[in-house]
Amino acid sequence: MTAIRTENLSKSFGQTKALVALDLEVPEGEVIGYLGPNGSGKTTTIRLLLGLIRATTGKAEIFGVDCQADPVAAHRRVAYVPGEVSLWPSLTGAETLHLLGRVQGTVDAAYRDLLVERFELDVTRRVRSYSKGNRQKLILIAGLMTRADLLLLDEPTSGLDPLMERAFRECIAEARAQGQTVFLSSHILSEVEAVCERVAILRAGRLVESGNLKEMRHLSSLQVEAELDGPVPELSGIPGVSAVQVQGAHISCQVTGSIEPLLAALAGAGVRHLTSREPSLEELFLAHYGGERDA
Amino acid sequence: MPSEAGAARVVAVTTARRAGVPGLLWGLVFGVTIAATEQAYFSSFPTEASRRALARSMQGNTGFEAVFGPIQGMDTVAGYTQYKSMFSLVILASIWGLLIATRVSRGEEDNGRWGLFLSGLTTRARAAAQAAVGLGAGLVALWAPTAVIAVASGSTSRVGIGVGDSLFFATAVVAAAAVFMAVGLLVGQLAATRHDANVLGAAVLAASYLIRMAADSDSALTRLRWLSPLGWIEELHPLTNASALPLLPVVVLVAVLVGAAVAVAGRRDLGSSAFPGRDAPRPRTLLLGGQGGLTLRLTRPAILAWTAALGATGVVFGLVAQAAGNALQGSPGLEHVIERLGGKSAGAVAYLGFVFVIAAGIVAIAIAGQVSAIRNEEASGHLDNLLVRPVARWRWLAVRLLVGLGLVVGGSVLVGLAAWLGALSQSADLGLGDLLEAGLNVAPPALFVLGVGALAFGLWPRGAIGVTYGLVVWSFLAETIASVTDSGHWLRSTSPLLHMTPAPAASPDWTAAALLVGLGLTAALAGVAAFGRRDLQGA
Repeated sequence: MTAIRTENLSKSFGQTKALVALDLEVPEGEVIGYLGPNGSGKTTTIRLLLGLIRATTGKAEIFGVDCQADPVAAHRRVAYVPGEVSLWPSLTGAETLHLLGRVQGTVDAAYRDLLVERFELDVTRRVRSYSKGNRQKLILIAGLMTRADLLLLDEPTSGLDPLMERAFRECIAEARAQGQTVFLSSHILSEVEAVCERVAILRAGRLVESGNLKEMRHLSSLQVEAELDGPVPELSGIPGVSAVQVQGAHISCQVTGSIEPLLAALAGAGVRHLTSREPSLEELFLAHYGGERDA
Repeated sequence: MPSEAGAARVVAVTTARRAGVPGLLWGLVFGVTIAATEQAYFSSFPTEASRRALARSMQGNTGFEAVFGPIQGMDTVAGYTQYKSMFSLVILASIWGLLIATRVSRGEEDNGRWGLFLSGLTTRARAAAQAAVGLGAGLVALWAPTAVIAVASGSTSRVGIGVGDSLFFATAVVAAAAVFMAVGLLVGQLAATRHDANVLGAAVLAASYLIRMAADSDSALTRLRWLSPLGWIEELHPLTNASALPLLPVVVLVAVLVGAAVAVAGRRDLGSSAFPGRDAPRPRTLLLGGQGGLTLRLTRPAILAWTAALGATGVVFGLVAQAAGNALQGSPGLEHVIERLGGKSAGAVAYLGFVFVIAAGIVAIAIAGQVSAIRNEEASGHLDNLLVRPVARWRWLAVRLLVGLGLVVGGSVLVGLAAWLGALSQSADLGLGDLLEAGLNVAPPALFVLGVGALAFGLWPRGAIGVTYGLVVWSFLAETIASVTDSGHWLRSTSPLLHMTPAPAASPDWTAAALLVGLGLTAALAGVAAFGRRDLQGA
């Protein structure tokens, strides 16, 4: 069964087109990463799926239910975790979990307790005394404890430290093992790569790429920076090397595929210092779509 | 390049904007109230004989003096205006000063914006001092329209109150706002949240009022007046026996409180407090079984506060009904007002018929607060947490409106019951049934306001609070402006308050009441439907 299906889904705010003709299908049980830079339309898509805002055109379904026409029926099978959380400050963490669990209707109490322990959250405190990270943990637990068929996660690790990010990834692995569908909106490529089977990329409100990670291997280029002792060799002709920038003895470039030809070229110039890292999604966009950005 | 002075000025300018606009609006209301009171004196007491009778009947009534302040020169427009308007304006100014100060200080800290200010080129103490400067601009904004309108009305040949006296009257009212702004600034530094700061400030205001009340209830206790800021302001007697000396303790107190607030701000950590709130209380889940219970829990403090205020208002009305009725006996002006509103009775019943219209206004203000809470739930993003779960929008809004309905009906009946109890203690011969009916009679205008508020929320959420409060303010102003400009029936007909008969001075017009409720219900249903079809909108 299809967990999420959108057809020609669009949303405009006045003259601004936040989402343009989105056609997307997510099979039940899949973990999909929904990528894009800030303002690309990720949150708009999720708010349309939740029926919080009205579509300008098109249709959106969750497990076959039209989520614009009957959001309540759709929400029975959905748990949503926002990245910007706003909770009632006078309630304690435990009271918030109790309330949201009762409103949702289904809670796996044992799993909730496990999550509270895993995320090391003191639920006896009022929400107003929580840090940003603790508020995020609370809303994550509130979403995950329902064991809903579909998890809609909108930049869910915002404000979490690396240990808690690891705990989050464990939760997603468990959800996948349980057969839950996960829709993970993020601009952190490494997080998406760690947990998702398939990726959809949004830019300026349009879906520009969609496929599994193997198909999109061409996106996995490395960002390389080096300080050289000798003169900078000519790099533009080396296979897989692009976006070369030279400032004195400092070079930066991107490498797709094997890094060996680049290393061989640099070795002759005497490498004093070299770092390589995966480029941010923003850098990939600049590399792949930068020319179209202002089009 | 940004300078430290420039960075600090940002706090002052931002605060001045947030305090200035409401200050200006309240100043207009205050000015119109003063002008209307002055004009009403001549229409209510057109002859020298009626004025002398009023003065004779009121003079030395310690009950009235304890509640509303000293009675002086009631046979003059100046004495009448001071007695009739100063008490209410001083209390309103105090409440406004307190709330705006806690809003721009602790409120900003609660929502995280204060931290943004402090990350710039300023310090905690300097930012607090600049906030005080910004609030000072709010005081000027409050004073200016109050003074201009008071001078304009006082300078007319019929009223004949000197420019200096009118300016001093405006200053006396604004002095109350200044004192409680300073109180608000300090408690905003001491309490854990803005809510706690408001509770502390309200306690200070209540204590000030009670001390002033005790001082005015017995001539042997007059000196107690000097223990209360409200007593100092009363001692100014701006229109009857003006004395600027009591302004001295007012100025000293404001300076001390602001200085203390700045000093505490400089010494404490951001987010900490001298009176820490309980951040880890025992969980209470009784009302957290669903959306309805949550609504009750969130609105409980406001509902309890309004219930107490309405009960107290009813008791005061009942306590003074007999004496006020006697004092106003034979006042052709009051009889004219009651007649115009559809009543015929005289004495205590006539007085209650008149003041229950004011009670209807208070209930309408209470319900406007509920509409504001509804909108704030959406604007803050709290509502998202419910609507992303299996909760229908119409159901959420309907529950919120039902809580409002309960507040209106319960509060209205309470006003009648409390007035009966107050009157009973004075052995006034007023029937429980009549006063309960009179209480219920004040509900329809508020239900109309609730319906209009719901419709505005459905169609224009960002304007809903302004539309609702605007309707309530207009309801008061329509009668006032109509009486001052004599512009006739059409202006009055735009006020929902004036579509109710002045029970118990007249039998309630249940047909007109049903019409108001019907219009309110229709508007509410349209609002619920519109809410179901629009985007959720943040602040």
